[in-house]
Amino acid sequence: MKLATFKGGVHPDDGKRFTKDKPVQTYLPKGELVFPLSQHIGAPAKPVVQKKDTVLMGQLIAEAGGFVSANIVSSVSGTVKAIEPRVTVSGAKVDAIVIENDGNYTPIEGLGQYRDYTKMSKQEILDAVKEAGIVGLGGAGFPTHVKLMPKNPDAIDHIIVNGAECEPYLTSDYRMMIENPEQIVSGLKVMLQLFDNAKGVIAVEANKPMGIQNLQELVKNEPRIEVVPLKTKYPQGAERNLIYAVTGRKINSTKLPADAGCIVDNIDTVIAIHMAVCEKTPLMRRIVTVTGNGINEPKNYNVKIGTSFAELAEASGGLKEGVKKVIAGGPMMGMSIPSLDVPIVKTSSALTCLMQDDVERFEETACIRCGRCVQVCPSNIVPQKLIEAAMKYDTTAFAALGGMECCECGSCTFACPARRPLTQAFRQMRQAVMAERRKKG
Amino acid sequence: MNGFLNVSSSPHVRGADSTKSIMYDVALALLPATAFGVYRFGLYSLLVVAVSIVFALLSEYMFQKLAGQKVTVSDGSALVTGLLLGLNLPPTVPLWIPALGSIFAVIFVKQFFGGIGQNFMNPALGARCFLLISFTGIMSDYVVDGVSGATPLAALAAGEHVDLAQLFLGFTGGCIGEVSTLAILIGGIYLLVKKIITWEIPVCYLASFAVFELIFGTGGGLTFVLAQLCSGGLMLGALFMATDYVTSPITKKGKIVFGILLGVLTGILRTFGALPEGVSYAIIISNLLVPLIEKVTMPTAFGYANGALEGKKGFSLAAYKSAFTLCGITLVAGLALGGIYQLTKGPIEKAELAAQAEAYAAVCPDAESFDVDETLEAAVAALTAEDGTVADGQFGSIVYESVYAALDGSGNQIGCVVNVTSKEGFGGDITISLGLDQNGTITGMEFLTINETAGLGMRATEDEFRSQFVGDAVEQYELTKDAASSDTQIQALSGATITSNAVTNAVNAALYLAGSAAQ
Repeated sequence: MKLATFKGGVHPDDGKRFTKDKPVQTYLPKGELVFPLSQHIGAPAKPVVQKKDTVLMGQLIAEAGGFVSANIVSSVSGTVKAIEPRVTVSGAKVDAIVIENDGNYTPIEGLGQYRDYTKMSKQEILDAVKEAGIVGLGGAGFPTHVKLMPKNPDAIDHIIVNGAECEPYLTSDYRMMIENPEQIVSGLKVMLQLFDNAKGVIAVEANKPMGIQNLQELVKNEPRIEVVPLKTKYPQGAERNLIYAVTGRKINSTKLPADAGCIVDNIDTVIAIHMAVCEKTPLMRRIVTVTGNGINEPKNYNVKIGTSFAELAEASGGLKEGVKKVIAGGPMMGMSIPSLDVPIVKTSSALTCLMQDDVERFEETACIRCGRCVQVCPSNIVPQKLIEAAMKYDTTAFAALGGMECCECGSCTFACPARRPLTQAFRQMRQAVMAERRKKG
Repeated sequence: MNGFLNVSSSPHVRGADSTKSIMYDVALALLPATAFGVYRFGLYSLLVVAVSIVFALLSEYMFQKLAGQKVTVSDGSALVTGLLLGLNLPPTVPLWIPALGSIFAVIFVKQFFGGIGQNFMNPALGARCFLLISFTGIMSDYVVDGVSGATPLAALAAGEHVDLAQLFLGFTGGCIGEVSTLAILIGGIYLLVKKIITWEIPVCYLASFAVFELIFGTGGGLTFVLAQLCSGGLMLGALFMATDYVTSPITKKGKIVFGILLGVLTGILRTFGALPEGVSYAIIISNLLVPLIEKVTMPTAFGYANGALEGKKGFSLAAYKSAFTLCGITLVAGLALGGIYQLTKGPIEKAELAAQAEAYAAVCPDAESFDVDETLEAAVAALTAEDGTVADGQFGSIVYESVYAALDGSGNQIGCVVNVTSKEGFGGDITISLGLDQNGTITGMEFLTINETAGLGMRATEDEFRSQFVGDAVEQYELTKDAASSDTQIQALSGATITSNAVTNAVNAALYLAGSAAQ
């Protein structure tokens, strides 16, 4: 069978062998929980609790600070210890609500109550999603209720569930396909309820045959849902590439998926929608893969948002002696962290611990114009020319060469035999261009 | 956990290929061709390749040391340059040729322009062309087993039959690494499978060249095209030189354009050019056009149409203008190289004819016109062998050229003009034109071709020497080093005995032919 795919991409070692057969374990936090007010795209949330307040599990602790923003819910019961700046994954200090866990996990009233989504109106469903504080759990953290309210809902003809999980080492989405496929399908059905003209597509990379099989079995009597196997290739799950692979439609960086009639949500996001709407449970937990050759016992966890990465590492037998790099996320797009004392947030998908650091290991040499960066770029731009503009810090030339189309997937850097830090330079330039544009208004 | 964790911007992993691994893979892919070359031409050819590699490595090392740069000899790019240059040399060249070539390639073509990744043309080919222009004789001397075998291309150009299977396997003449199409293909397929090179350049190059030869080729037919594909440096060039990363376009469309450009240029050079081989020149000319090709073939970013990004939407006239410029330059380059030879061939012949007519008039000042005289021709032909040799070598290596009757105003014969060539000139052939009246008196002597040493042999063209032959009615001349004591003696030019001897012999041969014909 011909698998759906895009042009370009690379084949890094997928590293999934460490955890793909490890069932998800629930981990209960021991220490304090930290909830940064900004763990999504858009305005930071505004705290609705004060220091020393008692909170229940599932209680709103910060509400959306604007249209594009998201609620934050306490994942435990306990006391608000502080509202103060805390270091997050990015290394920046962000205002956060710190909660002392009382260990009782006392729920707020109605938590976990079953709801029949077919009897709910569209607005009720959207409100439920908004209340639950759901954001894109694939990594971007875009508020989901905003995504579900496009200008023209009738023009949406594809709801795509992104099950590519193309990022190496990550197995959280895969484990959900094995353990909770019903929730995925249920979440998708909730979304289809919102869009009358849409069909649902669950797109999964072909390296997860068990996941594909489970889902196919579940949707065989669902006329509006289809499972589409994708070619295993990084970055198959990048939004624009996925839309192209599934629908053949191409959108550039200035467009939204809705412009191509699509809404794309990650597997765990769809499960969160199911939980919020059908089980009246807001977003309080995250499936996190702790993996890599630098951790003693690689595992998959169901973990309370706000838990420290350090606790998870400890639960996994600790970091190995001589570990070189620890990454929040996978090795292609994740952020390396200097310390494990940072909280797990909504968009945290993994903790990848590596004994070797390729960035340190290899020395940058002169470009030999081999063209690999051009071959692998999923945005079909020419990194070799972009880097020339970036080296001169020429933002005009960078934008003219299509630099803003770069999705920072890292494929060019991975493929470069001269080991040039292409993506890194592009990331900087893109920020510079965006800053310039903001200044101009 | 001890020490600090590394922090850097993503991605945190890198692919397996490095510049070094790629270079060594290319060198490995060249092994079959190298091995066959050594098997075919003997161990000396291995020495040629080895000298080429050693000097390439040394040049890079020395340059970087002296320039205070980081030494990058181990990245293998100098190794590949040296190896490719060695494979592009005739198997019997003196060893200073690969040494000089490698120094030129690495220092002049590569390092002077900024080292690896910055050279504007393929270093090995730049050096080959430098050697070809500077030492044409040595560089086009393909001696195998002591026999100066014509290369298949030279044979093809002469319209001779060529054995395709032998050509494909490599049992033919040529440069060390270019003879066996099979061995080169093995290496090329290895590079394709390992994804070191992509198909665009070699396929477009070979296909467009084949189409060009099918349409314009002088031999015509499929066998001719196949023979053309398997001969000369084409295969080596298409798979190993045209695909050189640094000097080929990085865009996919650019690679296709580049390949077609190469095919057409090689076709023009081989079919219409003065040299039978055109691959090296085609590649280095195309190398120079790469920046322009890339400019025209920049891909359209994902999600945009017709090359549009923000601010410039839809049809872009500028892009097409560049395309026209590119076509124009290609056409001019092709015409300049191939066409000039064709354009000048006619005028040169005409000029030669005019010079001859002038010379005839000078050697027979009383004649009004010159004409072919069959009786004279038949008489002279009887004295010469089929290949033009006069009197079985009695006058040294002399070749008879032509004879004409000199006519007066009313068409009566008043004498004749005999043209002969001496092969024994110091600087090549000397062709003279000797005019005689009906009594056998020499009325004049002119040179039609002479390329002797200026100031020595070239003094033969001066009146002082030349006039010694005029006005005499003798059977044969005799050369003397002293002052001439009689009409039959010719005083040799001091310091140019060989020239004097060749000219005197030529005059004697002409006299012999004219005298015998008159009887």
